[in-house]
Amino acid sequence: MKKPLLLIVYGLVTGLFLLFFWYYGIRDDKQNDWNENPIGLMGDIEEKYVLVTFQSDLDYWRSIMKGFEDAAQLLNVSIEFRGASQYDANEEITVLEQVIARNPAGIAVTAINPEALNATIDKAVNAGIPIVLFDSGAPDSRASSFLGTDNYSAGATAARELGRLLSGQGDAAVLTQPKQLNHQERTKGFVETIQQEFPGIRVIEIADGKGSVPGSAQAAKTLLDTHPDIDGFFATQANGGVGIGQTLRERGLTGRKVVIGFDTDKGTLDMVKDGTINATLAQGTWNMGYWSLIQLFHQNHDLVQPNSEDMNGAHPLPPFIDTGITIVTKDNVDNYYAK
Amino acid sequence: MQTVDMKPKHSFFRRLLPRNLPIRYKLLVHFLLITILPSLILGLLTDFVVNRIIEKQMNENTLQLISKVNRSLEFYVGNVQNTTYLISYNPEVREFLYQDKPDQAAREEALEFMRGFPTLQTEIAGIMVVNAKGDYLSNDMYSRSASKDLTLETWYQEAVAGKGIFKVIGHPYGRNVTTHANYKDTEVVSAVRAILDPDSQKVMGVVLIDLKLRVIVETAQDVRLGKTGLLMVMDEKGEPIYVPKQLGFQKIPLMWLKGQPSGQFVETINDRKLQFIFRKSSFTNWSTIGVFSTEEASPEVRQIRLYVGTFVFVVCLLGITASFALSHGISRPIHRLMAFMHRAESGDLKTRYWGDTMDEVGMLGRSYNSMLTKIGDLLQLTEKQERQKREAELRILQAQIKPHFLYNTLNTIDWMARKQGAQDVSEMVGALSKLYRIGLSKGNEFIPLAEEFDHVRSYLQIQKLRYRDKLKYSLDLDPDIAHLSSLKVILQPIVENAIYHGIKERRGPGTITVRGVRRDHAIELSVIDDGIGMDGQTLALMRERLDHPMQASAEAAGTGYGLANVQARLKLTYGTSDCGISIDSEPNVGTTVKLKFPIHEEGG
Repeated sequence: MKKPLLLIVYGLVTGLFLLFFWYYGIRDDKQNDWNENPIGLMGDIEEKYVLVTFQSDLDYWRSIMKGFEDAAQLLNVSIEFRGASQYDANEEITVLEQVIARNPAGIAVTAINPEALNATIDKAVNAGIPIVLFDSGAPDSRASSFLGTDNYSAGATAARELGRLLSGQGDAAVLTQPKQLNHQERTKGFVETIQQEFPGIRVIEIADGKGSVPGSAQAAKTLLDTHPDIDGFFATQANGGVGIGQTLRERGLTGRKVVIGFDTDKGTLDMVKDGTINATLAQGTWNMGYWSLIQLFHQNHDLVQPNSEDMNGAHPLPPFIDTGITIVTKDNVDNYYAK
Repeated sequence: MQTVDMKPKHSFFRRLLPRNLPIRYKLLVHFLLITILPSLILGLLTDFVVNRIIEKQMNENTLQLISKVNRSLEFYVGNVQNTTYLISYNPEVREFLYQDKPDQAAREEALEFMRGFPTLQTEIAGIMVVNAKGDYLSNDMYSRSASKDLTLETWYQEAVAGKGIFKVIGHPYGRNVTTHANYKDTEVVSAVRAILDPDSQKVMGVVLIDLKLRVIVETAQDVRLGKTGLLMVMDEKGEPIYVPKQLGFQKIPLMWLKGQPSGQFVETINDRKLQFIFRKSSFTNWSTIGVFSTEEASPEVRQIRLYVGTFVFVVCLLGITASFALSHGISRPIHRLMAFMHRAESGDLKTRYWGDTMDEVGMLGRSYNSMLTKIGDLLQLTEKQERQKREAELRILQAQIKPHFLYNTLNTIDWMARKQGAQDVSEMVGALSKLYRIGLSKGNEFIPLAEEFDHVRSYLQIQKLRYRDKLKYSLDLDPDIAHLSSLKVILQPIVENAIYHGIKERRGPGTITVRGVRRDHAIELSVIDDGIGMDGQTLALMRERLDHPMQASAEAAGTGYGLANVQARLKLTYGTSDCGISIDSEPNVGTTVKLKFPIHEEGG
């Protein structure tokens, strides 16, 4: 009678213990976790990605920054914005080197000109920091990707719009920043398309808008003075359009000259709305920022194409993402204002 | 196993009383209590104390972290405040605020100046300066509809009410202003400051700065509060500044904070019991709140619980085993001793307790053994004394039939009779003398059968002389057995009975026949008379007397029934084996008494 009693007691105690052990030891109380929606891409708030610009106070960058920020929110990482305050290549190199020294999780940089940053970009690559270019590229660098507008086709689009508005006849001038690659490509696209598709239109001058509103206004004034019969303008950047518009207003020539602007800053949009500028080309700036961070995140977490360590072989990331271009006219300009 | 005698009525419950439980269970329960209870108590105590300590530590830790977070937030907001001052110092901005119609160049320069701030302080989403007329300067923000006067906006009015003191507004819901980069209301937090003319204290305008929520989010998320803790930020009106989506709720009632600058409380939201630890920043008036789930102890506490539980379990297991073993070890020897005593109780006095332990039970056992031995000895002694008593009794019995004195006297009478020529007297005395001579037999207990027959013949001779023709007798002894020994004076008492209770009582003469034959290994002597016989009742009584000869001979002393005496002697001499007296009788026919005893090979 005592043997089974002992066994029963043992069994009871062991059973209790196993229950206890399961409850406190093994059980992973999922029910007590916050309702985390399991997202596939989830980073650490400790990861820092840096966006490097030049002329850092340009409003143009704001939209790109927002895209970058939105991606950071989604991926739960932290970000920083740095840049050269002036339009100065050396300053941007310095800033970029400082950023590299802090060993961030990734860098998105826009190149002030196609060559100046190459060495520094390659330094980042050598340090193992994922680095992509946006808006203004540097094709000879070893950055993993370039996100930006197909500038050539942007220029071509502008040419077609101008040609349409001028009905294929007239003189046109281009206001640009001659040293910047993206502007060069736009200019090229514009000029070549005019040549190929609108033989009746002549590109009489390619002027330097100095990258500012006053500079562009001044350049426009000079153009009007030298070529009073000029019919149309194409500005390859936002300031250019606004500058030209201001000059036209001063001279009372609004509506009499065709202006194709670029970008969708408020000044340009207002001028499109009131007709001073006929059309402007909207770049996919938000996309540039957003997809830059997505790409950097992927490369940082090694979520890239397998077996692409050998840089001579397959690209880990898409080497070029065309963020698109759209024509903004009075008809759809309201969509481009902030809601 | 259980040999407790109990009343049948309350048997079950009485059995459960502690003092009535078998020793084994008593010991068991005691040992179990001793081992399990302390370790359980220890375990529980440890768990409780550790829990308290860890909780306290965690809360302190959390408060510290929250303070740090508050510091960070204050830093950002402080920067914004500085920015509002820097902007108001700028001469171009001042010109915009003071002039009725500020010119374009001034505006451009002011805007240029303002552009620097979001560039360097990237946590700023946008800056707007509004003058008292509702005209505004901004690089990144603009009013949604020109028709609405900005000076009538709530944020403007709040800045005015602040009289030049920096104020954080919170999320700018329902505002007529928007940022060009399209920041949603939930993505920014606004702050305002009215710019006053130092002399007149008149409101010249208001600076509005939007702070990106991102920096607050990064700061709040950067902090790890244990396994399940999350940080949320709430302003002094109870409006949420930042609430992580995982919490599952948007805001908590302001009154839960009870207006305290810091503290903690436990509340239930969405059926979840949560612990809140908060600290308010006196600068921003925001409360940073750490939210924890109370349903689960921190992983450290769980670990400790696990270890303590395992320890208690192991101790319990050991304790149970030890308890069983110990109680068993003590109760088993006791039970064995009990079993031996049982056997002794039921009569087996020969078995001895076997055990070689030196402890109390062993000693009990050995004492018990010696007791049994003593009992055995006592029993033997009693038996011996009984026998001796009986032998003494026997001798006294025999001494009742004292022959020596009478034999001598009879000899004297015989001589005197012969001297006086009385022949018949001499005959009688001679016979009597022979009777007593043989009866004495020099003290021998056993005599040859021939002599025994002579003895009874003498007796019959005497009786014949008395009863004359009334008594007739014959004796018949098988010559082959005449030499065999027999107890003396066994026939005479029987013949005496036959005469006095058989022949004498009948009408007319009677005959007594005495025979002696051999039957297998026994001798059979029979006394047959044709006296009056006995009725059934008397016969039964006689037979009973023969069955209990010792008592009968004591009782019957003096009443003449020497039968019991003979039976007693026979039984004592030959044991209870094949010997004894048997009676048969029929009224008016006669009585037959047979004696049987085994052959004793000793002669004379």
